[in-house]
Amino acid sequence: MITRLVTSFLFASLLAGQQAPESASREAIQHLQTGVELEKRGDLDNAIKEFSDATRISPNYEMGFLNLGDAYMKKGEYGKAIAPLNKAAELNPDSPTTQRLLGFALLSQGYAANAIPHLERVREYGALGIAQMESGKYSEAVASLQAALAKTPNDPDLLYYLARASEGLSSQSMDSLLSAFPGSARAHQAMAQHYFSTKDTAKAEQEYEQAIRMRSDLPGVRLELGEVYASVSDWPKAEQLFRQETQIQPGSAEAAFRLGDALMKQGKMKEAVSELQRSDELHPDMPETLYDLGKSALNLQPPEAERALLRVTELEKETLLASQAYQALSVLHRKQGKTELASKELQEFQRIQSLLQNNLAKSN
Amino acid sequence: MRARVLLSCLGVSALITAGSTVGTDPVFRVYTPKGLDFVLQNSPTMKKYLIETMPGGVALLDYNRDGLLDIFLVNGGRVPSSNGKLDFFSRHEPSYWNRLYRQNPDGSFTDVTEKAGLSKAGDTNYGMGVAVGDYDNDGYPDLYVTNYGRNILYHNNGDGTFTDVTEKAGVAAGGWSVSAGFFDYDNDGKLDLFVVRYLDWSMQKNKTCGTQMPTYCPPGEFPPVSNLLFHNRGDGTFEDVSVKSGIAAKKGHGLGVAFADFDGDGFADVFVANDAIEQYLFHNNGDGTFREVALDSGAALTVDGKKLSGMGVAFQDYDNDGKPDLVVTQLPHEPYGVFHNDGQGVFSEQGLEAGLGLLSGNVSGWGVGLEDFNNDGWKDLFIIQGHVFDNVEKYDSTIRYLEPPLLALNHDGRFERANAGTDEAVAGRGAAFGDLNNDGWMDVVATRLQGAPLVFMNRGGKAHWLGIVLEGTKSNRDGYGARVEVNGQVRFATAAGSYLSSSDPRLHFGLGAATTALIDIRWPSGIRQKVAADKVDQYLVIKEKSAP
Repeated sequence: MITRLVTSFLFASLLAGQQAPESASREAIQHLQTGVELEKRGDLDNAIKEFSDATRISPNYEMGFLNLGDAYMKKGEYGKAIAPLNKAAELNPDSPTTQRLLGFALLSQGYAANAIPHLERVREYGALGIAQMESGKYSEAVASLQAALAKTPNDPDLLYYLARASEGLSSQSMDSLLSAFPGSARAHQAMAQHYFSTKDTAKAEQEYEQAIRMRSDLPGVRLELGEVYASVSDWPKAEQLFRQETQIQPGSAEAAFRLGDALMKQGKMKEAVSELQRSDELHPDMPETLYDLGKSALNLQPPEAERALLRVTELEKETLLASQAYQALSVLHRKQGKTELASKELQEFQRIQSLLQNNLAKSN
Repeated sequence: MRARVLLSCLGVSALITAGSTVGTDPVFRVYTPKGLDFVLQNSPTMKKYLIETMPGGVALLDYNRDGLLDIFLVNGGRVPSSNGKLDFFSRHEPSYWNRLYRQNPDGSFTDVTEKAGLSKAGDTNYGMGVAVGDYDNDGYPDLYVTNYGRNILYHNNGDGTFTDVTEKAGVAAGGWSVSAGFFDYDNDGKLDLFVVRYLDWSMQKNKTCGTQMPTYCPPGEFPPVSNLLFHNRGDGTFEDVSVKSGIAAKKGHGLGVAFADFDGDGFADVFVANDAIEQYLFHNNGDGTFREVALDSGAALTVDGKKLSGMGVAFQDYDNDGKPDLVVTQLPHEPYGVFHNDGQGVFSEQGLEAGLGLLSGNVSGWGVGLEDFNNDGWKDLFIIQGHVFDNVEKYDSTIRYLEPPLLALNHDGRFERANAGTDEAVAGRGAAFGDLNNDGWMDVVATRLQGAPLVFMNRGGKAHWLGIVLEGTKSNRDGYGARVEVNGQVRFATAAGSYLSSSDPRLHFGLGAATTALIDIRWPSGIRQKVAADKVDQYLVIKEKSAP
């Protein structure tokens, strides 16, 4: 991916139309111009030979070194490009072209820390962000990559590196927290998250409980501990934790949703409907909330179930949740004797499921 | 109350929730009766042959008509050594035989396998399940044993012995048969035979899955196969009508089968529990053909549109609305499926409403029954459990290979965990239900891999009960397919259901405080018969009357 970024920034012909400086002999200039012509025709090997001759004849010929480095990069020999580009930068530190190419060459060879000053000088934020991330400077990397994405918002490579840098920053912050405040409630919460991510639910539970003992008013901890219990289908305990979280954060739509979900899993449909409706009021049009609401109300309040499930199908198009909403609607309408409508919804369920399976097969 | 169990496995500990029985009286006394010395030999290997994890069935039948239920157990088989190229199994050694145990009056059992002519049975096969029915209406229950390989029909000679009549009957089948059941699909008074087959597998076609370590492959790795329907000609032979009836049109990964007339049209329908695909509900058109209607009727998928890993199935009315519902056991990560019969041929999946979200989700179920264990007038739920993979903990620390059985009592249509009498974790598979000691309280016999069968003897109580023995005259002698209503409760007469197993054919009703019973029978022949019982706490033999 770094290579793809680098190649997209290479120049077609660095010297086209440029005048030779006084530091070069006439013979060196001739070799340079020949090299440029060869390069234009795609003959990179002979162009490199001509550029090398130019730099041998005139050892302070900046454009000779720059073109030599550029040709190596076009050939994909980034390692060989570093020396001539370094020389070019030494001869003319203010050349943005040289700084950019040198930064790319160093980064592509794994010298991320060395690449940073060169990329900084030319504000090449995408590559700079990658170099900073590779050097463990995650917060700077996030800033640089966000700046790059502001210019090209949908670049998948930049998005990928931003995600990685963000993960790195998160991990680094956690490390700082754990080393500076190992006994704090937040440290226990962080450890619990780690254990839960590795499916060690018993240790996760212990750490979360310790965090709660230390700071009983800490928002979010009970929500996370409830998720641990939910992962092993211990719904009564999950319900207890989620209910406590709704008391700490009465305005949290997520806490209300989680509580509603735990109630639904236990078949407490009346309570589940009430809590999911509250979540929907706090944060309207969350598809997952509406879907659970539809399921909970299916046998209890069919009109409410229908409203919620139809809203899911409006909000979600050709997703798993949309297909499930159609399936639940078909159950509802079949039960109401609306056979034709139920059949259409079942077909829509099958169509989306089939589409999703095909997409999955293609991506594999 | 639920208890936390800390498991330590390969240095990884995990929180597992398990049902606790603290504070409630056990419903069963769990033990191995004297003389019941069977061990289910599944012969696990490092090759992870899929078949190793699937046996074995159990049947409760009174083969000698002495009034006591006897136990027939199906054994697995010896798997050839890992470098062997044989595509068959060895059952020659006695430890791999199926076994028939005759119950003695004192509750002990005597192995009568050889005497009954059932020894050495199935050599080259690998045993799976059993179906019981009196296919020739001579009053003695016959046995049909399913295998990987050739299935065997044993005719009960009525003198304590059986004869292998498979070839004459034409029901050897082939491939990998699993659950089977007798039922009379055309109401001609003769029991027909339905055989479920799992998938297209052989030793050579076996695959091993798992990235870190070998384990059994999911069914999707193997091609699906069709189920079989054999029509009873009445002369000791059967006709394979799988294609003609439309049954063969739907290939699947079937494991369990159960019968009931779900739409009240007077013809028994067939539900096949499929593994990891849609469930199948074959509607009996009444003209010798079937139409698979699970998707259209709402019995194919969960309410979320998810496919169940269907293993065992019970097809009885759990909420006393008079219509047969479905409970389907399956693998973890989703609750067991409960398809409520809403009437008009429509089902809706209501596992969460029925309380199954609290009882399942991280467990794996196989044999299953809806029986009234506390005689309160509501059918309770029993499931024998245990995962497919014997090394599942290494893949998922939240799941266990060995699981205790699940008993859940029914409170107005909602199931709540109860004390089954044991928390022993086993690799459970088959389960059959019946009243072993004729005390009117339903017992359970369940099989477990590499172990002795578990007998769950009901401790009883004070509530009243009624047992009904159907004797068909125009209908099949067993009365299979009859709809029997007692004081508002309904049971559908069958020995089939569960997983690989066959239950006591007598119909059991818990009556609570009631001391009389009104019985309303709709026989498969169409004959309606009403009986008033002034005395309860007894087994009542009801012979089909000759005219409507």
